[in-house]
Amino acid sequence: MAIINVSAGSEAVLFLGDSAANANIAGSDGLQLPKMQDITLNNSTGVFRFKTLDNTAESAVTTPATNQITLNVVVDDAAFFGTGASVDTVVSTGLFGCSKNKTRVYFNAGFQGTDSGSKYLSGSGFISGLAPTVNMDSPVWVTPVTIEVDGDFANASIA
Amino acid sequence: MAFRDTLKANLDVALASTNVSVSAELPFNSAGEPLYTKNMKHVYLDEDNISKTQLISTLDKSDVMQTDTTVTAYLAVDAKNDLSDIDTIVASILNSRDAVTGQTVNECEMETDIQEDIITYTFNYNFITV
Repeated sequence: MAIINVSAGSEAVLFLGDSAANANIAGSDGLQLPKMQDITLNNSTGVFRFKTLDNTAESAVTTPATNQITLNVVVDDAAFFGTGASVDTVVSTGLFGCSKNKTRVYFNAGFQGTDSGSKYLSGSGFISGLAPTVNMDSPVWVTPVTIEVDGDFANASIA
Repeated sequence: MAFRDTLKANLDVALASTNVSVSAELPFNSAGEPLYTKNMKHVYLDEDNISKTQLISTLDKSDVMQTDTTVTAYLAVDAKNDLSDIDTIVASILNSRDAVTGQTVNECEMETDIQEDIITYTFNYNFITV
């Protein structure tokens, strides 16, 4: 048992790609999203509650989860608009291109970095919620990003 | 180029036809007296004071840093016989803040202090960039 401290700067990482292979956290073909300010992985199950005449309290059952990754990033021009030249669609079109084109994006969200044995969650979904903003008090572009996960998270360790 | 140099170059031109001039020297003390009170009607610019602070922290340590630079200018004149063009001089010194380009904040504030028969104008320039 141990806490996961991300203060070294290499633990909380997010890799994106247009295929599960390209999004591999141990690979180099996808996009490692730079300059994340924060990241939240939501695995929120729904709840159905019901009452019965023979019980003094409500009963509950969970319903399928809503899975979502939300984060805020400082806008990096290559990551946001794409490099224009890559075999991977996420790298070439960037976050904005994937959002606009509704490209399915595969992800590996690392909790402990990229070393062997490190834990991560994977899955796929669609980018939404881009809202770049800037002002003179904080004169660099920042944007929220949401990955609406299609299906379930899978957790694994890096081989 | 230090902001002090930029400000001096701007003030050399802006104050050329006024009753004051700009000194190239730093406002050090000579025999216990600041140069700007010893040599009145000369604007003295201090060195840049620079601080870097974290504007946005990121998980991969590629933090966005903010640079704050302050420069202080001094001008002392005879309090008994105030300069006829002091308003123009003060306005020119305040406006010289715009000579430093590429900043998100270009500010300059002025305060005065009278000691015996000398009035000292102190100008605090504040520049912020990211």
